[in-house]
Amino acid sequence: MLRYIAWRSAVALFLVWVVVTAVFLLLHLIPGDPAELLLSQGSIAADPAAVAALRERMGLNEPVWAQYLDHLRGVLTGDLGSSFRDGAPVIEQIAQRLPRTLELIVAAAVIATGIGVPLGTYAAMNANSVADGVISFFASAALSTPVFVVGTVVILIFAQQLQIMPAGGFIPFSEDPLGHLQLLLLPACTVALSLLAVITRMSRASVLEVLQRDYVRTARAKGLSRSRILRRHVVRNALIPVITILGLEMGTLIGGTVLVEFVFNWPGLSGYLVSAVDARDYPEVVGIVMTVSILFVFLNLLVDILNAALDPRISLVRR
Amino acid sequence: MTNDLNRRGFLVATGALAGGLAFIGPRGLRAQEGGTLRFALSAYPPSFDAWASGGTAAGTVKLLMHRGLLSYGADGLLRGELAESWEVDDAGAWVFKLRDATWHDGTPVTAEDIAWNVTEAQKPDSAAFLQGQLAMITSVETPDDKTVRMITTEPLGVLPGWFAHYNMPMIKKDEPRDTMIGAGPFRMGEQDRGVSISLTANPDYYKEGLPKLAGIEAIVYADENLRVAALEAGDVDLIEYVPWQSMAGIDGNSDLRLDAVDGPFMYLTFNASRAPFDNPLVRRAVAHAIKREDIVAAAFFDRGAALAHLPIAEKSEFFNPEFKDAWSYDPEKAQALLAEAGYPDGFACTMLSTAQYGMHQSTAEVCQAYLSMVGINVQLDLPEWSSRVQKGNEGSYDLAVMGTTANNNDPDGLSNILDGTLPNSFVRSHALQTPEISEAFARGRAAFDTEERKEIYRELERVAIDTVPIVGLAWRSQGYAMKNSVSGFTNMPGQLTFYSGITLEETMLG
Repeated sequence: MLRYIAWRSAVALFLVWVVVTAVFLLLHLIPGDPAELLLSQGSIAADPAAVAALRERMGLNEPVWAQYLDHLRGVLTGDLGSSFRDGAPVIEQIAQRLPRTLELIVAAAVIATGIGVPLGTYAAMNANSVADGVISFFASAALSTPVFVVGTVVILIFAQQLQIMPAGGFIPFSEDPLGHLQLLLLPACTVALSLLAVITRMSRASVLEVLQRDYVRTARAKGLSRSRILRRHVVRNALIPVITILGLEMGTLIGGTVLVEFVFNWPGLSGYLVSAVDARDYPEVVGIVMTVSILFVFLNLLVDILNAALDPRISLVRR
Repeated sequence: MTNDLNRRGFLVATGALAGGLAFIGPRGLRAQEGGTLRFALSAYPPSFDAWASGGTAAGTVKLLMHRGLLSYGADGLLRGELAESWEVDDAGAWVFKLRDATWHDGTPVTAEDIAWNVTEAQKPDSAAFLQGQLAMITSVETPDDKTVRMITTEPLGVLPGWFAHYNMPMIKKDEPRDTMIGAGPFRMGEQDRGVSISLTANPDYYKEGLPKLAGIEAIVYADENLRVAALEAGDVDLIEYVPWQSMAGIDGNSDLRLDAVDGPFMYLTFNASRAPFDNPLVRRAVAHAIKREDIVAAAFFDRGAALAHLPIAEKSEFFNPEFKDAWSYDPEKAQALLAEAGYPDGFACTMLSTAQYGMHQSTAEVCQAYLSMVGINVQLDLPEWSSRVQKGNEGSYDLAVMGTTANNNDPDGLSNILDGTLPNSFVRSHALQTPEISEAFARGRAAFDTEERKEIYRELERVAIDTVPIVGLAWRSQGYAMKNSVSGFTNMPGQLTFYSGITLEETMLG
């Protein structure tokens, strides 16, 4: 098991390096000069002399490979550089933004799992019934509705029409816990909706499959109660693929909550990435992408370990 | 398992319901009474550099923290700020007399502070927004603590306007350029980068009784629709950059008020380094080929006006009525001009705009449609904004759509987009030399008499109508929206709309 984890970690690190290198090179290939953009805010004609001076100060006149090596050196010493825009240390900004995105994703995952697993299990236990059909229909609808549509409709109903929820924004938990949770609720539910659909469908399929297993039939034959069979034998085994999917989906969401963060003005990592790309703020973009890729591979690793914990045969097979 | 509701279930359900109602209740996030205005900004300032251009939101925050020598009043006229009077002395130098004012740290504002600002911002590598203009000041003298004398190579009538710009506020000597120590009505409080900025009233502000608010909470709402939703939901009191599609809805909402002015404008620039747009006849043909009302309708939901001349507003004393329809829609004239230029069958070209901003893309699409009717087949190039800026600066286009405002309502504010002697930039036509226009701007700056200046700018516009350094397309409405309980905030007239933050010192709640 330990060897397996060590090997997976090494592969993960290599992947992170590949991603960071690719992003660094791609950023320098696409048009758009950070110095020029910074001095052209508000559609202003930037003075070429000022642009040249700023480029020099930003270190952009160095060859790309020299900038790359410099950046790698920084990464190895835990320094992700400073923003081109205002000199704010990138690592501090990521440390501030990342927990907000993780909070959003975890809240969405809790909502989605809390509702999706029971719903999927219920649908499987009542397969081909009207309830099953209704659940499947809504799951498909939720899956195919874009998050920005859901977000916009939710704001329209709860903030603009009913005026019972704020339209969006952010208040630190330490400042106002209730206000913070209020502001978290709508974006978390929006992210949760598509996740809920995936988990419901996955749970249903998985439970249906487990219900056909011999050990379930044996448990029934032994006279175990329905709820005990469900808890002990069905759901626990059916959860393995659900957790795998949940982990992958959460990994994708770390860099993929852009639209929800934008629509609800939730100042997380995704929105930060978009503004950094817009401004061609190279240190910020590379720092954020690196963080996201590390988290993504880490989540994958975690999913594997969790699966192994739920079903000890998994690590044995892979070892 | 039973579905009957037992006592414990009842208590849990009741508790959850009560908690839920409290949770979704509006308290806490509604706009606060008692003096703190919640202002929804469209962006977080990219930096707090006092002298650099950082866009509208940065300008507004600077207008809260800082003050310059002069400013504009809500009526659009120049007024004193740190300077209580200003005049030209017998030697042709500008003399500013300072009032008693203090920085946020309690130290007095002195002539030496002001002189330091000018000499620092005019340095060639300062990247100050007005560096080019300030470089015309050859020396700054401080005869006493309250007098600043600025000497220029030649008399400059437009110099006071530079010191009213929100990108030329005064900061305390030897402070870093992004200092939070200003002399403005509000002091910087907590900042959450990218999210919000808190400002509190400066009790030692030099204008008695101002500011009227106890504080301002500036919150960034980058999505224009969410800004409107936040205002309608009561989360904020005031929003900037009201999207045009939402203006009618706000007008129809009895709880809200829209304050919109026609200030910024859309126009076309040309790449004159190559055919066919090196030919003024072709540029004039383009000017006559486009029906501008369709741009106003498509891009701005009819919130704006056609612009068939240079962007000088009708309300301006420098407006020339004889040129009002100089570039009016006349496809036959456009075709005749193309034939005269040697393109009777038209030609193909590329038009640069951006897909990042709907108004830029819609404007380009309308222009494309009308130009095709006179034989000019336009291929649109719609990269995101960063690439569009770079391509514009490099001249990688034939025609380009652009939108901006002038520095102020004085025609000299247009030199930035019309003066071909300035370095190539995406805001003006590429490699298009207009010596007569450049010379007229220089004469206009040196003149003090209003009638004389009117004549100079009339001649300038006449030349521009013929040589077409740009093509005016549309005025666009620039709006702020607020709750009815907000008073004292004014959207400044015309090109000064982005200076409106200065009226927040007089704004009140309730």
